[in-house]
Amino acid sequence: MSSGSQELKDTSVASSKWLDAHYDPVANLYTFSSCIALSDLHGDGENKLVVGDLGTGVCNMKLKVYRGTGLLSESTLLDLPTGLVSFLMDLHEPRTPAIAVASGPFIYVYKNLRPYFKFTLPSLEVNPLEQDVWSQAKEDMIDPMTLKEMLEGLRDKAEIPLSVRSLRFLMLEPQEMENFVLLHKEQPIRRQTVITCIGTLKKNMADEDAVSCLVIGTENGDVYILDPEAFTILYKMSLPSTPTLMDVTGQFDVEFRITVACRNGNIYILRRDSPKPKYCIELSSHPVALVRMGKNVVVGCTHETLHGYTQKGKKLWTAYLPAPVTTMALMDLPTRGFQAVLVGLANCEVHMYRDKNLVSSIKTPDVVTSICFGRYGREDGTLIMTTKGGGLIVKILKRTAVFDDRDSAPGPPIAQSIRLNVPKKTKLYVDQTLRERENAVAMHRAFQMDLSRLRLAAARAYVKALESSLTPMSASLTEPLKMNAVVQGLGPSFKLTLNIQNTAACRPVMNLAISFLYDENLYSMRTAFFKIPLLVPGLNYPIDTFVECLSDKGISDIIKVFVLREGKSAPLLTAHINMPVSEGLALN
Amino acid sequence: MADDAMKTDVQLPVATDLKKPRPKKAPELPILERRNWLIHLHYIRKDYETCKAVIKEQLHETQGMCEYAVYVQALIMRLEGKIQQSLELFQSCAILNPKSSDNLKQVARSLFLLGKHKAAIEVYNEAARLNQKDWEISHNLGVCYIYTKDFKSAEEQLNLALQLNKHDLTYMMLGKIHLLQGDTETAIDVYKSAVEFSPENTELLTTLGLLYMQVSDVYRLSGEHLAISCLKRANYLSAILAAGSMMQTHGDYDVAMNKYRVAAYSVPESPPLWNNIGMCFFGKKKYVAAISCLKRANYLSPFDWKILYNLGLVHLTMQQYASAFHFLSAAINLRPRMSELYMLLAVALTNLDDADNARRSYEQALQLDESKLLVNLNFAVFLYNQGDKKAALLQFQEMERKVNTQVDNNSNTEFDPEPEADVSSAPSPPTVDPGEPEDEDEVEETAELKEKKSKPKAAAE
Repeated sequence: MSSGSQELKDTSVASSKWLDAHYDPVANLYTFSSCIALSDLHGDGENKLVVGDLGTGVCNMKLKVYRGTGLLSESTLLDLPTGLVSFLMDLHEPRTPAIAVASGPFIYVYKNLRPYFKFTLPSLEVNPLEQDVWSQAKEDMIDPMTLKEMLEGLRDKAEIPLSVRSLRFLMLEPQEMENFVLLHKEQPIRRQTVITCIGTLKKNMADEDAVSCLVIGTENGDVYILDPEAFTILYKMSLPSTPTLMDVTGQFDVEFRITVACRNGNIYILRRDSPKPKYCIELSSHPVALVRMGKNVVVGCTHETLHGYTQKGKKLWTAYLPAPVTTMALMDLPTRGFQAVLVGLANCEVHMYRDKNLVSSIKTPDVVTSICFGRYGREDGTLIMTTKGGGLIVKILKRTAVFDDRDSAPGPPIAQSIRLNVPKKTKLYVDQTLRERENAVAMHRAFQMDLSRLRLAAARAYVKALESSLTPMSASLTEPLKMNAVVQGLGPSFKLTLNIQNTAACRPVMNLAISFLYDENLYSMRTAFFKIPLLVPGLNYPIDTFVECLSDKGISDIIKVFVLREGKSAPLLTAHINMPVSEGLALN
Repeated sequence: MADDAMKTDVQLPVATDLKKPRPKKAPELPILERRNWLIHLHYIRKDYETCKAVIKEQLHETQGMCEYAVYVQALIMRLEGKIQQSLELFQSCAILNPKSSDNLKQVARSLFLLGKHKAAIEVYNEAARLNQKDWEISHNLGVCYIYTKDFKSAEEQLNLALQLNKHDLTYMMLGKIHLLQGDTETAIDVYKSAVEFSPENTELLTTLGLLYMQVSDVYRLSGEHLAISCLKRANYLSAILAAGSMMQTHGDYDVAMNKYRVAAYSVPESPPLWNNIGMCFFGKKKYVAAISCLKRANYLSPFDWKILYNLGLVHLTMQQYASAFHFLSAAINLRPRMSELYMLLAVALTNLDDADNARRSYEQALQLDESKLLVNLNFAVFLYNQGDKKAALLQFQEMERKVNTQVDNNSNTEFDPEPEADVSSAPSPPTVDPGEPEDEDEVEETAELKEKKSKPKAAAE
């Protein structure tokens, strides 16, 4: 490890509190904080990094062990790892810790990186009626269709949910049922649940190297404490919802406290001698990560907040974060007596909080998905992070690094002393001001005069437009029409589309005609006059016609379109189409 | 290798193949919920793309029978705005597991978001039957009742929610109901207990502070004191603005400026903030800076009549009557029924030698609001200068009559707040000509300008 840190020393981060020891952007790790552990696997005083890698999320799940900057070993996992812990299971010398990997309903225990034991969750109670139905099926007393009906009836009413087998059976097509029943009927029915989180609890001593029990939370809301040697269930507790995150403290034989964040958005605190939760914290949003710091619980929530609670569930503080939380970890440096919470954020930063105060922050090249702080190799203050893109980052805390709680310092906020950015005014402005002071009356009069002229000119233009029906909307009440024109093509032939719409509420418009006025030397049209059909109100009538440009001199002109009413010479509507320059050459 | 030994004694859950006939041993069936934790983990980390991929795979594997996968898919859809589709998915969840109140809660929530409040209430009531002690159901029922204008039931449900579990949101809603019913005092009580419960919630503190400000007419000093103490604790833009404007009213421009600096650091593009900063400079008689700030405010929010009003006022003070005229007429266009605007316009017009329009503007101002003394006073001065002494006298008597009735009605009315202090620091009065016979008018005019400028500021919150 130490050799790696020297190699990758970066002068640009000299002022930072961290040394960049290792960064592998293509380590191909898909994992979470719950699946990472630092452990002295071989009892040689050098801590290794153990990672439960989810592979692609479907296959290729691996248990990877890193030593220094390199991968030490890799072994295949059978299913997605939910959690991974390192724990001492016995007092035998040498004291090498075991690794427990929770996945599905099993815990695989590895010792010396070799499979050692597999623990299976006890099966859940099976509905006796379901059992009955299947035993009837076993003796061929009922056919698959009846079985299906009975099971469906059970599913809708029963207090105890059906087993996987029955649920699978209900999904099948009728022709597959027979085979399924034949295949499975001999097996006893089992209903299993899966592990959702795992933790460790010291058995009877508080020492660093004391024997620990495993604590597991399951999908159906139970928490089990397992004996470290025999893997029997020592204690069972139940929660109102599925646990997702877990923090355990204390000793099993003395007093312990299990803080569990659940899928219903609540945090429950379990204690010894009570199979039900002792305290409950109702959060206003889902907890994303949970860390215990001393006697307090720090929770990162989906609403971009960080809350501090006492171990009895009383809210202490709230800090607002700049981005959603992805993960959290405790940073504990007992030698310096320093504790902080590391919060990975979706904006590629890792913030360090002491209580509600932001102490320091680290920029990362990618969004961090898991954080682990502890002893790695022989270095105590090592920060290990994996990123969303699968990268692995290792940083070492500098021994000279000092963290101070700057937020907690009393006094006015820093922003108060920042100068206001008041826009400056130029000398020209001042001169103009003086001029206005002297000549205000004249300026006002000139302005009013010009304003009146402008209004007059506008009114005249408007009247003119109305008189010659130049507007795109017809002003007459009997034929309220709207028209716009589109020219398509590069030339010499253009397509002219006129969109005509009758905007009346219900009355159709009839007997209309369209005529075009254009320079006959420049353009030719197949039909320069045609009738348009009855216009139903509201509908848009696109009328196409083709225009040929006769000139190749790159000039263009205006084509005027008139919408006429039969028997009236004044047009209802006039449109002036600015034709584009023909870009193709005329053929003749 | 280590893993080889493992493989032999464990059944592969993924690789199970139902079709292959095995005479002896049936394959292990994968558990339906086996990936729920992964779905949940991605969902709460807001990694929705990965989450959707996992859900898709899980639903494919279980043929849509995995309740939690459907549930999260619906939640994500709702976040993406596909409320109708999410509602359908939640309904199918409710079919898969009819005993879960969570599913019903989500169905109701989607209905609520679709604006079907009555249907939502029904579903919430159904969910409440499954789970009696859930503050969320009670809270949301309360919110639904607010939308259906059934305030009594809403209050009942929200109080129930508070009994079950205290949440800031419930307090906010309960306070809102009281405000909607116009019961400010009860609302204050609600917010007070809310602040006691969660002393760091800036939103609650700000709302409470602003309410105290509103009622400060009744409580006067104590109200303002409380408001400031609340607002000081809340480092929040609207709180800073409110506190600053109150300080400005008392002439504490430097302290107010300090507040605004904090706000300008975090929200540099807030129109009301620059408006208030501008008026602070105006109070400190730094007119050029005032105009700069107000113009920035106007640039940020061109249709805010308060900013235009203040701009007009400052330009009047700077004797830039032509500019003042433009700002004031723009303000009038946006807010045509305000008597003070017409009065200021009349002042500008008087200085622009447009006596006819000035007179019309004064008449309009009087017509819009009878109670304003200063319109009468300024009108009287204007008429006097025009030589129409008779009409001037009439206006002056009218004003005197109003002063007397006001004094009679309310002995502590602040008709002329601290005039002595203002004379010394008065900006050059715009309407009063050098040959003005009555010295007292000058004082009135200034006092009015001062008071006026603070009014729009306070309203800017």
